[in-house]
Amino acid sequence: MIELLRRVAVEDPARVAIVTHDRSVTYADLLASAEAAASELVADEVTRFAALSHQADVMIALLAGASSVGVEMCQYPPVSEAEVAELAWRFDHDLIIDEPRSSPRWADGEGRAGADAADPVHRPDRPHLVLTTGTTGAPRGVRHDWSRLLRSTRRVRPAPGQRWLLAYGLHQFAGLQVLLHVFAAGATLVAPAPRRPVEGLAAMRGLGVTHASATPTYWRFLLAELRADGGPTPELQQITLGGEAIPAPLLSQIRTAFPDAEVSQVYAASEFGATGSVRDRRSGLSTEVLARGEDADVAMKVVDGELWVRSRIGMLGYYGEDPVDADAWRPTGDLVEMTDDRILFRGRSSEIVNVGGVKVHPLPIEERVGAVAGVDMARAFGRPNPMTGSIVAVEIVPVPGADIDQIKTAVREACKDLDAAARPRSIRFVDHVTTSGDKIIRRAQ
Amino acid sequence: MNVTPEQVEPARIEKAVTDFLSRLDKLVDGFDAQTSLYADGAGLDSLETAELSAVLEDEFGTDPFSCDEMPETLADIVVFYGAVKV
Repeated sequence: MIELLRRVAVEDPARVAIVTHDRSVTYADLLASAEAAASELVADEVTRFAALSHQADVMIALLAGASSVGVEMCQYPPVSEAEVAELAWRFDHDLIIDEPRSSPRWADGEGRAGADAADPVHRPDRPHLVLTTGTTGAPRGVRHDWSRLLRSTRRVRPAPGQRWLLAYGLHQFAGLQVLLHVFAAGATLVAPAPRRPVEGLAAMRGLGVTHASATPTYWRFLLAELRADGGPTPELQQITLGGEAIPAPLLSQIRTAFPDAEVSQVYAASEFGATGSVRDRRSGLSTEVLARGEDADVAMKVVDGELWVRSRIGMLGYYGEDPVDADAWRPTGDLVEMTDDRILFRGRSSEIVNVGGVKVHPLPIEERVGAVAGVDMARAFGRPNPMTGSIVAVEIVPVPGADIDQIKTAVREACKDLDAAARPRSIRFVDHVTTSGDKIIRRAQ
Repeated sequence: MNVTPEQVEPARIEKAVTDFLSRLDKLVDGFDAQTSLYADGAGLDSLETAELSAVLEDEFGTDPFSCDEMPETLADIVVFYGAVKV
């Protein structure tokens, strides 16, 4: 990644690379910090470590420095001390860097003799470790190599005027993708802290954000904030959605709220990388992605209603497991339906609700409920039931002041033509829906 | 919502069940505590029964359909809530 910074720093050293709520960092300064971090890692003979801080400019310098000298960095999510210890044990991290510009913390509690700073050396392997969210079990470590990750930036055109919002965490693969795109374009990253939709909206308005990439759930919350505060609509040029299925009603709401913005959808995952973007403002992917051919970095096919991917820019493998074959096809866990020229996402295989032996996808139900007047946000999921194993349940965040009895009636009316097993049998009103990593949790609970 | 036993009065249980049946248009003429909830009475199918169990759990904090003997009538449900210590 450091080569992306170096290219811009040579060309235009004073260009702003990162803007946070309290500072701006130029490409030259960021490169200098990255090179200093690289020297320190080499001097301390570090080969791999975990990082806890989420201060964007410091962590990005550390990330770039580590990438340049073949040191494997793993950014932990914001979790408790006990969970940090659990992650360190699970992923064999002896070294944890918790606070920026502080002494590294070694897991064995011993200090390390400081060696003289050495010049960074370039190593053939440039590993990076990304943790999955662990929403369906313990988090897994996804091993990447920077040479593969950087392949996805080859087609990025220079765009120094763009200011991209960092709505994802740096511990997330999507956050890494945004970083790579921004620095490959020589653009500016706007990194509010914390990175909730309310701060994202403030950054859009106050820090001149032109481009923003986030999950559909993030955009739902941001639209709710926008409606609630009544302030000016940010003048975005591009809106990107990814990380979970994108309901058609949400696309429509975004088009209405941001009529001048380009809207693109990204289909990507920690395991197989980014597969490209769709800019036609329609839900799902074009079926053209199924005909990319053997030479493509990423190819896709549909097997029994599930999307499969063969990726040469994806992971090396999971931590602690054998490497994966870059030419092998892998199931994504994303269930799809082919309609005319589109591949429409119907949810995750882990989210299927088994209602008395009938498999129900919660996402289309959630879309219907979300489109009912008075519903601000909805979540469909499986609720355990003694009669049928599970029933479809929905949680609804109502619009302030809405009549919940009317909403209940309207929800039942909106779903009455669904298969009997798919109709919501439990409707609850809540203040917030359950999310993880800015994604709605739909697995049975 | 968890409730104390004295809150689960038969009248509240009857209202919850008859409101549910009315919404499904299955409150048959002459429905009373001894009317079957299923084939020969209100005619609830398995999914509707599953929904009733969720409604009762939401209302009273526990669910009579999770016990060993499945209730057949409103009277059975009232007995369940009369015996259970929530």
